[in-house]
Amino acid sequence: MLTIVRFLWASFAIWTAYALHPSEAGVVDWHKALLGVPLTRPDFHRTTGAHGATRSVVLTATSNNVIGAVHPENGTVAWRYLFEDRDPVVGYKAYNDRLATLSGPGGATFRILDVNSGHLLHELHLHSADSGRLFEPVNLGVAIAFDDSDKSKDTFVLTNGHTLRRINGKSGDIVWGWTSPDQTSLVVYSKVVTTSDAIYLIGLAKSFASYTVHVSAISPDNGELLSDADVPSSIINGPQGLIVVSHEGTRGKSVRLAWLEQARIHSVALTPQLKDKPTIKKGSAYLQVHDIGLQEKGLFVATKEDGSGRVIRFSEDGALKVFWEFADSVKSPKYTESTYAGGLDKDGWPYIARVYWSHVFRQASAHVLAPHLAEGKGLVTGFTFPFETQKHGIIANVAVDAANPEEFRVLSRLVLTTTTGAVQLWQQDQHQWTREESLADIRVAEMVELPEPQLVASQVGIEETESFGARLRRQLADAQDFPQYAINFAKRFATGSYASASSSIAPASNDTSPLSRDTFGFRKIIVAATSHGKVFGIDSANGEIIWSRVFGLGWAAEVGGRIFPLKIFTTRTVSDGDTPQVVIVGQRKADNSLVDTVAFHIDALTGEDVSGTSIGQDILQGQDVIAGALVEAYLFQDGPTKYVVLLDEYLQVHLFPDTPENADSFHKVAPSIHLPLRTGTAGSHRLGGHKVSPEKEFTGRHIAYPIWTASLPPNEDVRSIVTRPHEPVASLGKVLGNRTTLYKYLNPGVVVVLTSTSTPSGPATSCGVYVIDGTKGTILYHANLPAAGGVCDVKAAFTENWLVYHYYDDGSANADQAKSYRMVSLEFYEGSGVDDKTSSSDLSAYSNDTTRISVYEQSYVFPRGISTITTTSTKFGITVKDILVAGNNHQVQSFPRRFLDPRRPNRKPTAEEQEEWLIQYDPLLPDDPKRVLSHRYQVARIRKIITSPALLESTSLVFGYGVDLFFTRVAPSKTFDVLNENFNKAQLVLTVAGLALAIVITKPMVRRKRLRERWYAS
Amino acid sequence: MECVVGLNVIGSKEKVRNCIDACGTPLLTSSVTSTVDITMMIPLLILTLVSLLCSSLAFDLKGRVVWNEICPGIGDLGQAKVVLDNGNLYGSVTRNGQFVIPEVPSGTYILSVVAHDHAFERLRIDVLDTDTLPEVRPYVPGTPLSPPSPVTLPYPITLIPRARYDYYTPQESFNLVGMFQNPMMLLMLGTGVLMLAMPYIMKNMDPEVLQEFKERQAKITDIQSSIQNGDLKTGLSAMMGGEEKTSPAPAPKPQASAARNRGKNKRR
Repeated sequence: MLTIVRFLWASFAIWTAYALHPSEAGVVDWHKALLGVPLTRPDFHRTTGAHGATRSVVLTATSNNVIGAVHPENGTVAWRYLFEDRDPVVGYKAYNDRLATLSGPGGATFRILDVNSGHLLHELHLHSADSGRLFEPVNLGVAIAFDDSDKSKDTFVLTNGHTLRRINGKSGDIVWGWTSPDQTSLVVYSKVVTTSDAIYLIGLAKSFASYTVHVSAISPDNGELLSDADVPSSIINGPQGLIVVSHEGTRGKSVRLAWLEQARIHSVALTPQLKDKPTIKKGSAYLQVHDIGLQEKGLFVATKEDGSGRVIRFSEDGALKVFWEFADSVKSPKYTESTYAGGLDKDGWPYIARVYWSHVFRQASAHVLAPHLAEGKGLVTGFTFPFETQKHGIIANVAVDAANPEEFRVLSRLVLTTTTGAVQLWQQDQHQWTREESLADIRVAEMVELPEPQLVASQVGIEETESFGARLRRQLADAQDFPQYAINFAKRFATGSYASASSSIAPASNDTSPLSRDTFGFRKIIVAATSHGKVFGIDSANGEIIWSRVFGLGWAAEVGGRIFPLKIFTTRTVSDGDTPQVVIVGQRKADNSLVDTVAFHIDALTGEDVSGTSIGQDILQGQDVIAGALVEAYLFQDGPTKYVVLLDEYLQVHLFPDTPENADSFHKVAPSIHLPLRTGTAGSHRLGGHKVSPEKEFTGRHIAYPIWTASLPPNEDVRSIVTRPHEPVASLGKVLGNRTTLYKYLNPGVVVVLTSTSTPSGPATSCGVYVIDGTKGTILYHANLPAAGGVCDVKAAFTENWLVYHYYDDGSANADQAKSYRMVSLEFYEGSGVDDKTSSSDLSAYSNDTTRISVYEQSYVFPRGISTITTTSTKFGITVKDILVAGNNHQVQSFPRRFLDPRRPNRKPTAEEQEEWLIQYDPLLPDDPKRVLSHRYQVARIRKIITSPALLESTSLVFGYGVDLFFTRVAPSKTFDVLNENFNKAQLVLTVAGLALAIVITKPMVRRKRLRERWYAS
Repeated sequence: MECVVGLNVIGSKEKVRNCIDACGTPLLTSSVTSTVDITMMIPLLILTLVSLLCSSLAFDLKGRVVWNEICPGIGDLGQAKVVLDNGNLYGSVTRNGQFVIPEVPSGTYILSVVAHDHAFERLRIDVLDTDTLPEVRPYVPGTPLSPPSPVTLPYPITLIPRARYDYYTPQESFNLVGMFQNPMMLLMLGTGVLMLAMPYIMKNMDPEVLQEFKERQAKITDIQSSIQNGDLKTGLSAMMGGEEKTSPAPAPKPQASAARNRGKNKRR
């Protein structure tokens, strides 16, 4: 019998394992691959294939430390290469079929990627990260140049501002290296130019009040210094103003260095001997020179003092000449300053685009100059395009690509990047695609429930007034459809397809009905606020953006600034009877260094401003709540009303929305509020408990005052506080196999505190995990963890009475200890053991029983490092909770609770333990690929996972964001509350029908038999 | 200090390269710039080197991923890296499978591969203070580091893709055979068959054997009842008892007919 039980149990264990079917992939989940907001101007890069066919990609390096390529035809990601956080990209350059990158401080690591596939060809470590010199900006002191003289594919790499290396293109090895002999001097090189005779390193030497240009010529063959010269010059605004133009003439490549000095363009020819004297270009005074990426074609743009832009060309006779002046580019209140960009067509002819925004026509304009057309006089093609500035902000950067299908006709496509992080491609005036790359930088997000679909009831209310005839006619008309309905009903009854838990909930593409939820509540709206000043409403069914709004800066619009969203709260849900609303609390950092806390109150379905201060679909205006920084914000619920409580730096209480009703409500609950807060400055954060004053202070506000501080050592920094999510708890205890009960410790004030201990200004020496009663500061649990590599990277998830934390154990504590990632699972129960009930969830904070707890704890070896951890959440909390983690291999994976149960016995489980589904303790957590929720998707760098209940108790919705966005739904205990997908309804109907038939047939038979029995009985 | 030695004595070529990589550029200067500069700068160089860079020997760990039918190339593997311990030291896998983890200080490390779709074995790497090559050993996750495994693997490291993750379970379709293979179902079927077949077996049995069988049955039921709850037993014995006396069955009949009559009366 025991074996049978075990066998059954084993089969159940298999049955309860959740995994994705191949048919569900991409139906129940979606994934949006993103690159991040471009840091610099994107580049069109064209490669020629084997048969002369060209293909182009748009290359970009982004603020998420990603280099990626986008297909210009449809805006999809061709490939991307993710760089580690401590290895920031400082420079990249594409040439033919390869892309060279430099990353890390001073350009510590050099990589070559295939430009079409993104595959890594070579990786070379040039210097240690510690010896890298940090420059401001980071791309100063590093440069890449390709050897275009022959087919060697060699690369010249300048790193650290003073080291040049030649790197073999085939093997990826260093051919030679040269280091500036006087590193101690103030020369910092920032540009490399290659010719067949010499490699020129161009840098600036610091002298009094300004910089002097310094040029070194180096032999390309062996890296010997050919000559070295200071060019008499005085540059004020750094190396951005240095322009090197080259020209491929009949006598080889000639190079000229140009810079702006005292409003005049100075230039000097670069020869291996560096003998040339600078010349000054006479004529107009210039304000600025722009590098438009066409230096190799001898072109750049200079703006005059009145703002008009001129194209300057390095002509064949070796002089710089004004080639073109853009008409109407003088500074004017009618249009913005112009942005200039250069691009090449597939034959290698250069084009120059000028893009600006016209305040008068509310449209963007582009002028594209083709210098080689019109017999070399230059041809300008212009067009305007409807750029939506209220939706995408201001155009930040432009890249241009052009084609010249016939004489006097230039077709161009523009890639725009905007201040809100959008990347757009316009083909002439036609919008092709938009990528909302700011979604790679979501700060806060929340899933908001949708309302039920609205049923159309057309004749409600007319029934009383209509006449008998009219009613008869109407009912007859309605009855016309009855046969159809009856057939449909029969069909549905027999074969019927019901809403299934694993079917798609995405609306049809032509669906115009208003947003509504599906049968099981899987469809929600994700409100996500980014740090690029934009908030999005995303359909959780398919990841489409339903609405988006740009944050207004309020008074800071005049000086400029940025808004960093900190918190998001759902202040009204569908169950409150109206459209759902959210409040986003953000910090506004104005460019004049003033910090304010602003709140935006939005309708979650449409993105409309609830407060009504913004006009239509224009910029979303917020409300300044605190004139200063925010310490903490909470959502308060008092009956049906919900409002946000904010604490400023002086711990004064602010309410949003600040209505008299909310103030009254808060005044009533104020005396019973306990707040554990993290206060202090970076590196010395403290934890303290606070109470709110029952009466308003003279400032007219409630104020929070400290009642306890955590007695942590002075060098222990409180890194973060992990609180329990507000979720229903289905059961207060756990019934064991021997019919005794362990009561869960559910004290609502308990918080988890993560700390790091460090020596002053040194790396962390150890990390701490505390479980603290937030109402009186009692430490309930404390663990000291090793700080691997001097960094505390402990991740924790806390729900009900269950705490799980993850860290890296470097084995330093014990020589025998294995090095591995660990996951520790803890459960807190009331009292000293079984059947010891203290009703912890309702206990007074001052009862001694709040500290009378028993802790079960077990540690497991975890397969990998993680970036975030959370638990699933369901509507009533009945379903078992799984742990969800985002691993460092770009996967989102679930770990079942059963494996993380801290009560797993260290021996073979007894029958009683088996009844509780406990399995024998095994230090290794199984790494089951079937539980990888993101399956084949490369979900890059998930920073946070949020979970939200569906209407079905069994199912939890999961949304992860980081670089990528990923959404799926999980059922940790399988979908026990819906019919199985494979439930064969036809079979059931047939069986029932068959039984009915059998009854009909056998009934008379039985009756006859009975009758006979009665006649012939005994 | 090791690099300074390298500068003066010039040890193995590998070592010089390591030093060049590790110390950045100054040594490179010495190899390419004119000797006049060098003689002037050597004291300064040594000072910078000692103070700045080579406080301990750092080694560049090299190895390669061997492409096989599980993972035929970089396109399949995707962007992957080989990490030591928790990833502070790492090297990326290039198109030809090679990787270099630069500047690894001496110590014991666990090497693992961070790849999206493929599983690799873990290795224990001991980078030694001396000139010898690092020791490579297999490592089983969750086991203590000492004593080290007696098996050593060759250096440079070779990593073989062991498996491709399979994320999906096949769709369970309705399957009659599968349904009957379920142990629960088998048990039910077995009892069902037994229930139906029992009267016939009993009927065809020799009375003596039957008597013997009954005794044994009673014994077994006794034992069973001590193990499990009584439901099944009573059901079984009742069933068997019922079958035993087939003739006095009509006893309930009058009741039934009475009920029937009542029903009829009511209808009338």
